[in-house]
Amino acid sequence: MLRTLLAASLALPAQDGATRADWPHYGGQTSAWRYSALDQVNASNASRLITAWAFQTGETDGGMQVTPIVVDGVMYVTTSKNNVFALDAATGRELWSYRYILPKGFTVFYGPWNRGVAVADGRVFLGTLDNNLIALDSKNGRELWRVNIEDVNQCGCNITAAPLVVKGKVITGVTGGDSAHRGYINAFDAKTGRHLWRFWTIPAPGEKGHETWTGDSWKFGGGSAWMTGSFDADLNLTYWSVGNPAADFWGGNRKGANLYTDSVVALDLDTGKLKWYFQQIPHDVWDFDTAYENVLIDLPVNGQTRKLLVNVNKGGFTFVVDRTNGEFVAGWPLVKNLNWISGVNAKGELQGRNEPVVGKAKIICPSIGGGRSWNQAAWSPKTNLFYSTGIEWCEEVVAVPEQPKEGQVYFGGTFKLTRKVMQGEAGGHLGAYDPISGKRAWLYEYKYPLLASVLATAGDLVFTGDAEGFFFALDARTGRKLWSFQTGSGHRGGPIAYSVNGKQFIATPTGWGSALAGLLPQLWPEAERFRPGSALFVFALPEDTK
Amino acid sequence: MKYVLLIAFAAALFAQPQASVARGDKLFAQGCSVGYCHGAGGSAARAQRLRGRSFDRVYLSKVIRDGLPNTAMPAWGDRLTEPDIDALVDYIQSLANASADVPSPVVSGAPAVPQADQAAATPAEYRRGRELFFDPHRADRCAVCHRLGGAGSPVGADLAQSASLKISDGPRAIRYGRARGVRSVVLKDGDKFHGILAEKNGTRYWDLTSLPPVLRGLTSAEIQTVQRQSAWRHRDVVKAYSLEDLQAIWNFVRWLAAKQ
Repeated sequence: MLRTLLAASLALPAQDGATRADWPHYGGQTSAWRYSALDQVNASNASRLITAWAFQTGETDGGMQVTPIVVDGVMYVTTSKNNVFALDAATGRELWSYRYILPKGFTVFYGPWNRGVAVADGRVFLGTLDNNLIALDSKNGRELWRVNIEDVNQCGCNITAAPLVVKGKVITGVTGGDSAHRGYINAFDAKTGRHLWRFWTIPAPGEKGHETWTGDSWKFGGGSAWMTGSFDADLNLTYWSVGNPAADFWGGNRKGANLYTDSVVALDLDTGKLKWYFQQIPHDVWDFDTAYENVLIDLPVNGQTRKLLVNVNKGGFTFVVDRTNGEFVAGWPLVKNLNWISGVNAKGELQGRNEPVVGKAKIICPSIGGGRSWNQAAWSPKTNLFYSTGIEWCEEVVAVPEQPKEGQVYFGGTFKLTRKVMQGEAGGHLGAYDPISGKRAWLYEYKYPLLASVLATAGDLVFTGDAEGFFFALDARTGRKLWSFQTGSGHRGGPIAYSVNGKQFIATPTGWGSALAGLLPQLWPEAERFRPGSALFVFALPEDTK
Repeated sequence: MKYVLLIAFAAALFAQPQASVARGDKLFAQGCSVGYCHGAGGSAARAQRLRGRSFDRVYLSKVIRDGLPNTAMPAWGDRLTEPDIDALVDYIQSLANASADVPSPVVSGAPAVPQADQAAATPAEYRRGRELFFDPHRADRCAVCHRLGGAGSPVGADLAQSASLKISDGPRAIRYGRARGVRSVVLKDGDKFHGILAEKNGTRYWDLTSLPPVLRGLTSAEIQTVQRQSAWRHRDVVKAYSLEDLQAIWNFVRWLAAKQ
């Protein structure tokens, strides 16, 4: 079967974002498809999946948000508070562990979690809660180098996302978009840790784009790149999403478009120089980060194949742009409950802005929790469908004028979730969409938000997990549920597919937690009793499966 | 007369908690209800629900004042007054029997929560120096190598404890001062760098090739040679600072070091 796959891979087009035996990057490949070409487990036999092994990390604070990396039969996972485990991917046997020692007594405002490592050339790269980027020896977990990007006590920011590693460079952003902080993306030499370049997400005085900020607001304007970027080897561009400007709900002292917050930026890999940008939300006052994954796909648009980039933002709106130049191609809403804009025009500009006001509560949909959270979507080149979760919910929000203090929380308002939604009931769903038109093939609905990433496979399967602990497989073409398994705690991480010696495995982290998980009891009181956890469950077909 | 006084006293007693609860409500809305913390009206977010729960008064004020180490709960003691902490305790205790239905958020007026502000605690004449020392917008800020006042990196000398700060040195010492402890390290793979030994008798080095410095976890098997003489000069990393800047930094460092 592997040989067939290898032969098939030679015939595939240039933009091949499918994974095979390994799951080498956070989003699968650097194109962030979250799609595996493995089809040993498929729609006809998925109902027979059984557990191959499980692994308990012991660190349940904040749940388990990781997407495992698999390289050459070894799986690398992280837990909250920056512990790393290397496991035999076939058996779950622990090969080594790395215990990170956090400095005493500091406050982790953005939460203790970690979303994974990057692995390349015998090194494992980890971003930490106190803003260290660390390289470990992949053979034994020995620390090879560490560099402190910024003093956590000064910036109030930390690294929770998995870094991106390509062509000998490790790239990482930082949290801090809800604090008085100025965001950035840094590249380091993978071998030595030496700093290579920094892209400031907010231009300094004298730089282009600085005129979109007033006064000193650029120093404290947020703009954190808090998830993992993508990379296109042909264009040598790395794509990062920049989050919301601070203060979140009040923009009175940052008048202007606030570049490059809520933008997708395309950076030259070698220099970090801005090639192009596309700002989705000029002057955001909703905390609707353009922060999530950039999915790189090549598809025909009006009869011509174009290199595209698909990005869903926290406002529940999907933007499709040409990834060679940032030109707007299409935009569509992922959720029904969306009233912060009425839509976008032919250039992708926001229409009918509905902004929070000072001193008076206003209903905004979706809520600050997002029309989707950061848990990633999946793209299948086999079904030509884009699989994304979405959340229907609204909030009452009020803006409050606020002055920034370096490194301190800078929200500029307050909110509460409300049951008063525009359409239907509050809840979550997983849908299959045409990535350009947004036309929906099917929708799987669920009473709570779905907060785990989605995995699509060549076996015509789509996997994700829910808040109550069920990990399940849907038919990629119909959305029909084919299999489910109770892992004992809710899902907030990223399931993956990989193979060892020709045998396919499906792995999922399990462990309820996160800022959003904590918010759920505002609408669903019973969610307060959803238990945390931190484990990996790995599934395969029984040996006798034909 | 006695009765009037007694009534007035009783009214004051009764009014006090109500005013205090209202003050606590406002403080809570702006400082504690944010999405990463306790949610509107203590209805739960990332941090635990406070609404509909009973808490001990002493426990509440201690946690608000000192925080909970290694969690997201910060210590508010340095930015809230005791009456404000009492107001928050009054408000949180008032939530014990509150209904699950949280009122709509309405906050008006200027922000009530003072934030910790280290810069504001620095006298005006030293602020420029402080800003330069810790300026996050510059890659060559002093704090990427030096600790001062409990902040910064422990690569070079901790300036608050440095006995070498003499008035006679002046700001030129920053530019031309001798770099102590910087060595030339050559690795067996051909890499070489100027570095500072991270701990006595160890083989981990701070690699000074780029900023921020990199802590290299080397083993003796990877190191070819280490020379105690090095061509590294402090002036190369501070070359973007004018003499005026250095004077400001010098004044600030001397002020803070003396204070400690």
